[in-house]
Amino acid sequence: MIDKLKEISKDQLLAEVKKYADAKVKFVTGSCNDLGDKLEVTYFFNVSPGMDMSALRFVVGKNEEVPSMTGIYLTTVLIENEMKELFGLKVKDLAIDFGGHMMLAQDSPVLPMLKSEEQKAAAQKGGN
Amino acid sequence: MAPRTITPFGPQHPVLPEPIQLKLTLEDERVVDVLPAIGYGHRGIEKACELNEYPKNIYLCERICGICSAIHGMTYCDVVEKLWPLEIPPRAKYLRTIWAEMARTHSHLLWLGLLADAFGFESMFMQYWRIREKVLDLLEITAGHRVTQSVSIVGGVRRDIDADQKKHCIEVLKEVRKETEALNNVLVNDYTVKARTVGKGVLSYDQAIALGNCGPHLRASGVKEDCRTQGYWAYGDLSFEPIVATGGDAFSRAAVRAGELYQAIDLQIEAFSKMPEGELAVKPKGNPPANEATSRVEQPRGEVFYYAKGNGTRNLERLRVRTPTYANIPSLLVMLPGCELADVAIIVLSIDPCISCTER
Repeated sequence: MIDKLKEISKDQLLAEVKKYADAKVKFVTGSCNDLGDKLEVTYFFNVSPGMDMSALRFVVGKNEEVPSMTGIYLTTVLIENEMKELFGLKVKDLAIDFGGHMMLAQDSPVLPMLKSEEQKAAAQKGGN
Repeated sequence: MAPRTITPFGPQHPVLPEPIQLKLTLEDERVVDVLPAIGYGHRGIEKACELNEYPKNIYLCERICGICSAIHGMTYCDVVEKLWPLEIPPRAKYLRTIWAEMARTHSHLLWLGLLADAFGFESMFMQYWRIREKVLDLLEITAGHRVTQSVSIVGGVRRDIDADQKKHCIEVLKEVRKETEALNNVLVNDYTVKARTVGKGVLSYDQAIALGNCGPHLRASGVKEDCRTQGYWAYGDLSFEPIVATGGDAFSRAAVRAGELYQAIDLQIEAFSKMPEGELAVKPKGNPPANEATSRVEQPRGEVFYYAKGNGTRNLERLRVRTPTYANIPSLLVMLPGCELADVAIIVLSIDPCISCTER
């Protein structure tokens, strides 16, 4: 269980993130998870100085666009490029767009973090 | 306006132990813009962690980094233990703390040596690394390996430190402290060192927070934040207070790490003196439940963040690892513009970059 997790819609994202930035809350990181036909995105924040963490979470369809937070937190440039590249999250208006090649080379697997059919079937059976 | 040129800095560069490329836009010798490019060491470890059964991921996570190897293993175990949740024995908590601080000691000695090397102080570089060998020997004696100390398991630790080893460790750590004091005095007082580091790569308190920095890099900008204040493992029983500097420059980052070196040694000696007898591990029952958890641990370079999601099987649904350098790289976008080309190496090194960690 994650403490202080707030579930939002992607349309609320920038307004919620702006509140954190205005309060000088530090961005920690994000995580993306393949839910099948949707992606679950979680962003973690920390009230600095200290170790008080909170999180924002939204679920989007794989073809839906998500606004970039880089206009508010420049530091999110790496995680947003990573989620775009590895999960296919459609992030728009990135401050620096590595064009799908921040982590991956030209001949790397495409969207390697998405779950394969074999992986989904194995999880349903109880493990690989 | 002087003509602009774009100069690649890295991925292969004498000052970079690992590959990262900075595309520097220069006006004469002054940097006006920078674009960091990674991607030379991505290994897909998070994906592999979904495909392995959860106990095997310990070995995988220990290979995310060659310097913080043991702490990666410990943090992975910590986050998986939280899925049950599982309380590890008190002795295991102390042993994890001791090995984590041993890792910090050799990592900071490594970095101080690299810094000296970067500005051409070769004798200082060799002295720091000579001292570091003693700490690596302690790791070999206690954990069985100089680099990859595979000491953690889900539920505790796999090895113990006996009374003779404990006595030997304390003696060597006291020697290391004494020898390091002499070198650190040169580091913080030498004219040349100051000329190359004071006022270089300045980051204010507000900028460090806005850019999401962590570790000594963050604390050198005056932010009193350290994961160890959470009191995980044995830290809650030990005398610990984050070390902070206020200059926000490369010199302050060196000063914080120099201070943390003594602190790490003191923490190990205190942990040895307070470590209780008892079991080394508890056995987990069944598979990690369908739950999610986070773990935040202070590595030598700063906070490492693990997120795990279980699904009730032997495999994790998701494991996310955010390493300290991942959080500190964006600060280069602010620290480098305006500096001289000759200072780029020192400024980049001042965040103690670990690229293999960053890319996983």
